Amino acid sequence: MLGDIGTLVLQGAMISAVYALIAIGFTMIFGVGGILNLAHGALIMAGAYLFAILVRETTVSWISIHPVIAFPLAVLGIAGLSWGLYQGLVRWVEENVVITFLATVVVAVASTELVIYWFGSSPIGMTLIGGAINLEPYGFNARPRYVEFAGFVVSWIVIGLLWYYITNTDDGRSILAASMSERGAQLTGVDLHSVRSKTWLIAGALAGIAGIFLGSTGSATPLMWLNPLALAFIIVVIGGIGSIKGSVIAAYFIGFLEQFTVTFIGQGFRGILSLVVLVLFLLLLPQGLYGREFVHD
Amino acid sequence: MTTVLAGCLGGDDDGLTIGHLAPMNNVLGVGSDRTAQMAVEEINDNGGFNGEEATLETRDTRTEPSEAQSVTEELIQQEDVDVLVGTFNSETTQSILDLTSEFDVPFMITGSADPGLITDYVGDDYEEYKNVFRVGPINSNFQAESIADYCAYLSDRHGWDEVAFLRDNAAWTEPFGEHIPDLLDERGLSIVHEDALSIEIDDFSSVLSDVNDSDADFVLRFFAHIDAGEMLGQWAEAEYEFGIEGVSVPSMLPVYNAGAEGAATYETTSQSGAAGVSPITDRTQPFVQDYADRYQDEEDYPTRAPMYMGFNTYDGISVFKEVVDEIETTNTRDNLDDFVAAMLGIDFTGVAGQVTFYGEDSDYPHDVQEEREDGTITNYPMTQWTGIEEIECVYPEKHRTAEHQMPRWMQ
Repeated sequence: MLGDIGTLVLQGAMISAVYALIAIGFTMIFGVGGILNLAHGALIMAGAYLFAILVRETTVSWISIHPVIAFPLAVLGIAGLSWGLYQGLVRWVEENVVITFLATVVVAVASTELVIYWFGSSPIGMTLIGGAINLEPYGFNARPRYVEFAGFVVSWIVIGLLWYYITNTDDGRSILAASMSERGAQLTGVDLHSVRSKTWLIAGALAGIAGIFLGSTGSATPLMWLNPLALAFIIVVIGGIGSIKGSVIAAYFIGFLEQFTVTFIGQGFRGILSLVVLVLFLLLLPQGLYGREFVHD
Repeated sequence: MTTVLAGCLGGDDDGLTIGHLAPMNNVLGVGSDRTAQMAVEEINDNGGFNGEEATLETRDTRTEPSEAQSVTEELIQQEDVDVLVGTFNSETTQSILDLTSEFDVPFMITGSADPGLITDYVGDDYEEYKNVFRVGPINSNFQAESIADYCAYLSDRHGWDEVAFLRDNAAWTEPFGEHIPDLLDERGLSIVHEDALSIEIDDFSSVLSDVNDSDADFVLRFFAHIDAGEMLGQWAEAEYEFGIEGVSVPSMLPVYNAGAEGAATYETTSQSGAAGVSPITDRTQPFVQDYADRYQDEEDYPTRAPMYMGFNTYDGISVFKEVVDEIETTNTRDNLDDFVAAMLGIDFTGVAGQVTFYGEDSDYPHDVQEEREDGTITNYPMTQWTGIEEIECVYPEKHRTAEHQMPRWMQ
């Protein structure tokens, strides 16, 4: 029992760290632009595939870069892709919520098809850091992998940096201001277009990091983005739309809830409790833990 | 009258048409289609089917019963096919059995293993469903027996007696769930952990912890829907001290281990045709060589060997040629009784093994017979990944190319 709880804490913490990265990016774009970016999942998938291309000899035969160099390159690549998606498509339709929603769905589906066309539907494995630690001598029946620890540490470093940026720099505070009230932000001289571009850049980087860790702990498949996107949606509702703090707390809540379900109830019930919690929040606390009522301007 | 109408509807009564059904978004289907083309081309070039050249019509069933029904109807009504070959998942196969029997079209199943496809149809109403035969693979009940014998081999070789039994929570694994515990018990092995996993599973940490906790010597798993790439990654990196054995359809892909960066090394799967690595019959290796020569430069997998369904589809079309030569007509639909009688008399050396069928009064009428040597089933060989691209056949002894190896970290 104690061993089970230990394993639960360990696994829950590691998976939640990745969920948090995904949800923060998703909620930032919604908070600032009011855009429900369903292509966010596609960026996660792109992160895994781009990293695979860079580190694996067998994906593209003439590229094989050390993971330590490939990691930042892949993250920058996905951040750029996200920024390009905003500049090339979303900014032209963002005033219309329905069109934006549809456009991002189209991007998500089209990128899935493209990945199937280029790489096939077979899973592609990749290594960020190899090896695992056996915790059995310490009473825990688990052998977590180093890559999972790395995911946890990187997640917290990134969240810390982002928090510092948002709360302690003028640049970052303009994002916070725009998420509170666009008109208010504009009146204080914030360039909305530039703020939105920045949020897409940051959200893309976070999605890229999450994709690399998901690909390295599991493998890259064309539909690997569906589940994380659904989770991000649940997490954002629970945490409160637009709230970074809420997303982190909700990501850990959902991550642990899932791990609890798997450990004590059964693998088949994994997602069900999260959905029940989602429904409860929608009924009882629709603005989420740290959300605001929408301010109409 | 029907024939005239069919002609008016665009049917083609002049030529021989072979209909092939497979999920073409799946590598198994692609391999099966390629072997169907090979068989038809080779036979056409060598005197044809009772002197007639055949045309191959492949339709994509997309593993969806409704799609399978609509394309089968099209093949029967518009293309006027003389035989149907193929179908992969059992649910899809089942959905078209009525259609084929209604129109008296001989149907050779080459991808599905559910015993119910035979027992609930030909077995229940012989006259109605006598057009249905399964060329391969052997049905799941025989597969279960064969795998239990394989487990006994593992027990002899490594002293592995404790088994963690995992399976997809899906229809095709039910015969395994039903039979495996008793079959293992009879062979002196015990199940120390058992679970039917949700096919949506994407985190194997707790599964591996449970298996580890049970002190099992090996995992005996039956996965077709679940791709256990993540499980293999964790297993290999954390060097869990148990083997991974049984059936994994994703792992039959010749590039699977390369995709998994070698994490699949030492895992096994059974598959009819043994991935083409063992000379099961005299025809197996030349067939695989020919396949590789034709398709090795193609972009779409499988390029090196066709995967199990391809072996069976190739054999199905070859058997069809033998039968129409014997009944001296390719008009099988109007001569179904002659066709059935000739099929039941067949004893054909195929690329996946010897093809003979069970008769009307057996438990599995029109099902492919299992091959036995000293009472042990031999036509459901087991293969093991021994390197990124290297596969060996480890069971049965008759087809063995190498002895089974324990994972490196257990040796």
